[in-house]
Amino acid sequence: MADTEDVGSSSVSEPLDLVRLSLDEIVFVKLRGDRELKGRLHAYDSHCNLVLGDVEETIYVVEDDENDQEIIRTIKKQEEMLFVRGDSVVLISPQA
Amino acid sequence: MSFFGFDTALPRDRASQGGNRGIFDTPDPFAEVARAKAQAHHAGDDDDVLDFEDTYDGLGDRLNDDQDAFNEDTFGDVETGPVGKDFDFFGKTAQVADVIGEEQVRYNLKAPRDPVTAPASETKTTTGASSTVLQQPKRTGYEKYNEPGYIPDLQAKSSVWGLPKKSELAPLALSQARKMMSLEEVEAQLRGQGAAPMPGGPQMALPPHVSEPPHLQRPPHVHGLPEGFQQLPPEFLQAQFARGVPPQMLHSQTMGPEPFPHPAHAPNLPLHPLQTPNSPAPHPVPPPQHQAVPPPRGPHPQQQHPQQQPQQHVQQHSRGPSAQLPLITNPQQLMNLTEEQRVAYLLEDAKRAKRNHKIFLLSKGNGLMTPQDKNFITRIQLQQLVAAAGNVADNDSEAVLAEDFYYQVYSQIRGAPRQHPHQPLGHFAQTYLLQTGNRIGGHGSRKHNQSADNHMQRMQQQVQRAVEAAKAKPKNKQLIIEGSLGKISFGNAKAPKPSLNIKRPESSEGGKATKKPHTDLSLSDHKSILSNIEGVYNTLMELEDLERTMPPPPSEDDSEAIQKHLEWRQKVRALNQKLWQGLKVMEPIVPNSTTPHPFIAFLSYPKGKKAIPRIFRHIDQEQRVTILTMIVVHLDTLDVVRRAHPVPGETQPALPVREAIDLFSQAVMPSLLGYVSEAPFNIIIGLLGLVIAQTHVQFVARTRIGLGILTMLLSRAEIVKEAGQASERDWQQWVEKFNVLFDTLEPIFSDIFPGSINTGDDMYVWQFLAATGIGASPEQQQRLVIAVKDRVMETVTHSKTLPADMASQRLGNVNLFMRAIGLDVELLG
Amino acid sequence: MENGASSEGKDPSAFLGEIIGAPVTVKLNSGVVYKGELQSVDGYMNIALEKSQEYVSGQLTRSYGDAFIRGNNVLYIAAN
Repeated sequence: MADTEDVGSSSVSEPLDLVRLSLDEIVFVKLRGDRELKGRLHAYDSHCNLVLGDVEETIYVVEDDENDQEIIRTIKKQEEMLFVRGDSVVLISPQA
Repeated sequence: MSFFGFDTALPRDRASQGGNRGIFDTPDPFAEVARAKAQAHHAGDDDDVLDFEDTYDGLGDRLNDDQDAFNEDTFGDVETGPVGKDFDFFGKTAQVADVIGEEQVRYNLKAPRDPVTAPASETKTTTGASSTVLQQPKRTGYEKYNEPGYIPDLQAKSSVWGLPKKSELAPLALSQARKMMSLEEVEAQLRGQGAAPMPGGPQMALPPHVSEPPHLQRPPHVHGLPEGFQQLPPEFLQAQFARGVPPQMLHSQTMGPEPFPHPAHAPNLPLHPLQTPNSPAPHPVPPPQHQAVPPPRGPHPQQQHPQQQPQQHVQQHSRGPSAQLPLITNPQQLMNLTEEQRVAYLLEDAKRAKRNHKIFLLSKGNGLMTPQDKNFITRIQLQQLVAAAGNVADNDSEAVLAEDFYYQVYSQIRGAPRQHPHQPLGHFAQTYLLQTGNRIGGHGSRKHNQSADNHMQRMQQQVQRAVEAAKAKPKNKQLIIEGSLGKISFGNAKAPKPSLNIKRPESSEGGKATKKPHTDLSLSDHKSILSNIEGVYNTLMELEDLERTMPPPPSEDDSEAIQKHLEWRQKVRALNQKLWQGLKVMEPIVPNSTTPHPFIAFLSYPKGKKAIPRIFRHIDQEQRVTILTMIVVHLDTLDVVRRAHPVPGETQPALPVREAIDLFSQAVMPSLLGYVSEAPFNIIIGLLGLVIAQTHVQFVARTRIGLGILTMLLSRAEIVKEAGQASERDWQQWVEKFNVLFDTLEPIFSDIFPGSINTGDDMYVWQFLAATGIGASPEQQQRLVIAVKDRVMETVTHSKTLPADMASQRLGNVNLFMRAIGLDVELLG
Repeated sequence: MENGASSEGKDPSAFLGEIIGAPVTVKLNSGVVYKGELQSVDGYMNIALEKSQEYVSGQLTRSYGDAFIRGNNVLYIAAN
């Protein structure tokens, strides 16, 4: 965060600025494979590799119930600290 | 490189040379050395170096190649058979080299054992003339020198091959001879000179004319040789051949043919030089030698004839005897010579050996680059590196050009038109030499140290530039090279290769301007606040950085240090201003605005809260009180106050809010307390007045942070009073404000506790009640006790159900208040 | 960059630069569609959207104040 910022007042001049501004804030991250994370963004890079703290992971699983009806089951996990490899990231949204 | 030594007075020859010679077209790598040596001799420097160039008789230059009339005689009927590889002089000779070496070794082994053998008889006939023989070869090449008109001609021509001026050869050779002669030898030479009345007096001492073939026959003289004779191995020859030294080749060939006019020698049986001592007949000679030697020999005699017509009288005289010189293949032959002949011969041979040894030594480096050459190439490469690396040296393009050899040559051509049409290469050469660090300075001896230093300096500079360029480089996030075929972009780990090259025409401001109208204010604020926070952190880091580089406190008489300190302070001040701007504390307060004040918004982010302690370290008291005032004024809009009320049905606020409150208590409150505990009383009074006037006090008081701020102010006032620092008028003012506060809060004293009794942490409330109780009048204390007595009793009862440590903690909290009003929970027991 | 010959007269980068601030539809390879205001795009086709809504098979599933979409997932960006 130290030297990268020279725009100062302007908020978002490129997409990753949005991520940068969310440092140390809670972000929502959508991943490939119907997974979502919510946690405090500690670090990121240009590949969208992320380090998240106090993360809640939500996994959506499609299952068939007894009547062959497709239901979506959600699995939630808690992680204290998580490194997310950038290539699985689809979307990052700051949770204001 | 001998072309540097051109004699400009001879345009005739030069015109032809200039046309077909390039700058680097110096077939003889030794030329420069040779020239340098020659010059050294010329200058009286007695250096006993012999170079094969000295030996070159110039015959090769006189070859007339367009006369093929005798080719058939030489090669047989060319039409009927394939030409074969007969012209592969180099290759063949290289092959022969082995054989030659072998022969030599064999001879060395054999010679001592049979000093008197048959071959001697054959050679005797020839050795009789050896006194003249010795000088004959020299003369064959130098007839021209007798006619003054020819001398320049030869000079010029020989320089094509990098040869020194022939006119210098004589003294050179003499001096060389002198240097290495023993007494005996001197005597012999003097006598020999007397015995050989040669026209070209000094030339008769020229040893170089006895070239390869004699050299092969050297074994007989082993005993008399001063140096390097037996060490001459096949490799030596190979080295010479590998070097591709034309003059020598030519030379050796021309020496061969000279005996040729003898009718007895058929073109295909010319192999005297290679004959072994015990088998002088041509037959035992290995086939390769047969193939190797004849071709060179063949054409030469044939073609030389027409050209040599003018000097025929001399030539004819010289030829016969000269043919016999190489035939001394046996020690016995030497024995048969007269004393002076033998001495002269030995002398010649010694010189030859020395010369060959020298050549051998020099030949080691043939074809390799000199350190200077390497440095030059390195400089070019470094320069290109610098140029490619987004050049730091842009500002001194002159320096870059000065390093560019090709530019220098170009500018020489363009800028300095040849004053001498015949000496264009001189300029080029000079340019090159200047750029490569003054080789000319190395005359006579190879003093390269100086130029090497020069190179090292330049290289260091180049390396420095390259390093600087490399340092500057990471700032270009991506490397995009635009060429004629479009853009190529490179990626790396830090800056992956982009798939699109997006221009950002609007420098963020333009972009914002277009979307601002339909942008929700709070949303855009959200990002701009985060940007503010980011900016504040950057400034903080700069300040903290600067703090670390604070110069030592200046002594009074050190003006430089004082100056430094002043500059440093200046920087700190500038950054302080930047920080203050970034905090937006001084933004005008818009009453009844739906959007919070920027500074309050700043504090609503964890990052903002965390920044406060760091900010407080870098701002002065006035700025601190300004911040405190801003917080107090906006106390009810502070996120930790505004959102601190639990939603109905909940006993406490949501987890994120609780986290925010905790963070505010840990990060912001201590900073504020730090200031308040030292603040003058009138400020405390003013702040309390602001809380009462500007905020919804009952709302504020129901929050932990709100109560905390109030507690802070109340206790500071009590401390001031206790210390007797409060003036009567101030105290009156304070009491007025306090009474208003007390009256406002009295109805809700029982409601300021968080949740139920089980909720736990209510210490901050007891602290507030204690602070209120101390400052309250006895009547107010009574009202206070009445207002909270239920909570006191509840807590005492509840604490009895708790473990001892927790119970004592809870009771301790209550006692904090009870003691403030002169009571104790023990009394309630 | 400017290519006056084609009917649109723009290359993709110029187009993207021009629709900044405008409402756009972004479709991902997965089929998910996002509608919102385009804040910015970069060379990797990373996208920042403002006030965006997420549609999965036509159904509105989520809303985001701000959203960063990683460029490798993007199928297209359409200006509404």
